[in-house]
Amino acid sequence: MSIRQTQKLRLRKLITITLVALGLQATAVHAEDTDTPMFSFGGFGTLGVVHSSEDKANYKSSVMVPTGAGYSHAWSAEVDSRIGAQVTANFSPYISAVVQVIAEQRYDNSYTPSVEWANLKYQFTPDFSIRVGRIVLPDFLVSDYRKLGYSNVWVRPPIEVYGLLPISSNDGVDASYRVHAGELTNTVQAMYGKSEVKLTNEGGVAQAKDAWAISDTVEYGHTTLHVNYHQTSLTVAAYKPLFDGFRQFGPEGIAIADKYDVANKRYRFITLGASYDPGNWFVMGEWGSTSIEAVIGKRSAWYASGGYRLGKFTPYLTYAQVKADSNTSDPGLNVAPAASLNAGLNALLGSIPVQKTISVGTRWDFMKNTDLKLQFDHIRLGAGMPGTLTELQPGFQLGGTVNVFSTTLDFVF
Amino acid sequence: MKQIMFPFHRIGLANIGFVLILCTGQTMAEVVAVVSAESPVTALSRNQVVDIFLGRMSRFPGGEQAVPIDQEEDSAARDEFYARFAELSPAQVKAHWSKIIFTGRGLPPKTVSNSIEVKKAVVKNPNAIGYIERSLVDHSVKVLLTQ
Repeated sequence: MSIRQTQKLRLRKLITITLVALGLQATAVHAEDTDTPMFSFGGFGTLGVVHSSEDKANYKSSVMVPTGAGYSHAWSAEVDSRIGAQVTANFSPYISAVVQVIAEQRYDNSYTPSVEWANLKYQFTPDFSIRVGRIVLPDFLVSDYRKLGYSNVWVRPPIEVYGLLPISSNDGVDASYRVHAGELTNTVQAMYGKSEVKLTNEGGVAQAKDAWAISDTVEYGHTTLHVNYHQTSLTVAAYKPLFDGFRQFGPEGIAIADKYDVANKRYRFITLGASYDPGNWFVMGEWGSTSIEAVIGKRSAWYASGGYRLGKFTPYLTYAQVKADSNTSDPGLNVAPAASLNAGLNALLGSIPVQKTISVGTRWDFMKNTDLKLQFDHIRLGAGMPGTLTELQPGFQLGGTVNVFSTTLDFVF
Repeated sequence: MKQIMFPFHRIGLANIGFVLILCTGQTMAEVVAVVSAESPVTALSRNQVVDIFLGRMSRFPGGEQAVPIDQEEDSAARDEFYARFAELSPAQVKAHWSKIIFTGRGLPPKTVSNSIEVKKAVVKNPNAIGYIERSLVDHSVKVLLTQ
């Protein structure tokens, strides 16, 4: 039996045990908590438009979509708009389930709703729970609500840092344990599972296997500290043809292919975050660093953000940057027939995002359960690099500056 | 004057804005945190009360389960409670619960329609904690000393 099968079996066994335990508990406990409705329904959404001063490339909030603002559309509604619906079922005080469906721009440029989360939670005690199913990844300070515009001050979480991990959910199991000590609350969360996402332009799938993460969150008064370690085995099949090309060129080519191909490569991601929010103002910041030996590169990014709440207005200022911690070019193979392979490799290495952004904006809570946001981003692309911009067109100047204007209407219902 | 009971421990534009809002809004009665007269709990810090209502704490410091009884959205007592105890606007409280609801991590406290209903709920359940106008306090409930 292969390692993979053993692990699959182990996961299945774990799920079975959990389900049996849930079943036993369900028969033992009456639905005594009559105050809690069996089913509750909620929804949220964002309607937004984005304009970019650069019309020869696209500005996007995620690399997982094919079009954006600038080249595809002068004013793009697709960068931030989405709508989500959620059903929560409370079967007993111990057992609940949540299903969340989101419609937003997808890899194929459609808005077909997809299941963001679908999991069953067993609450052993008020401070200890286990979830099985599709679950949010715990990497960032605002991971849990990165798609919920209404709960964020910004138009979108800084793409430099949040773009380090473009996926938001994982299929598997997680456990959360909370400890209180005086006014300090410490929450440890651990998860195991896998995920698979479809890539744009018929790029096939990206698979993350044997993913595990452990995070710790400390809340003390108005202060929150968060640290997370996440590791997975990553495979992106779309790169295989390029590196199979390199493999034709003997040991030197094979060495390049082994170094850069993304086939079962160990991917490690560490994040640190802190926020201080006493109510009428806030400051927060996060730092993240990815480590993988592959064509997608090692990257690190951070941001710092602060804002003031003046009645219904919350003006804010954010600085963010992302840089490459590994080479962004490679001499490749020094033989003429490999020229196109070398060009392909360097095109990929050269698209590792390097940029710095200053953002100013304001949130306006102009009516109940609804806010309006305006944000202006000034982006300086890394020297000779396209930054996070994609779909580069002829005439596009690498390493320039780009101004982006965004406005969103966020709501919950 | 309302300003007097508002803590001026921080000086800043935001506080000035906040006080202006309080002054221009309708007159708000002072809101206090209450538990059942039978409850062993006598004092909590302001942060502890807030943590219980925002779902960050599920137990009183003594270990008893804490059951917060909230008031309905848009009620003056509710807005006053979150403004005074947590310095949070109604939109901030909504944003906080949206985070928790839309991850399936919890549900906001049970709500009742007014302070009289809060008193009834608190009297019925020794683990309950609520907030009411100080003028409605009677022998059935105990005002928590909040520092």
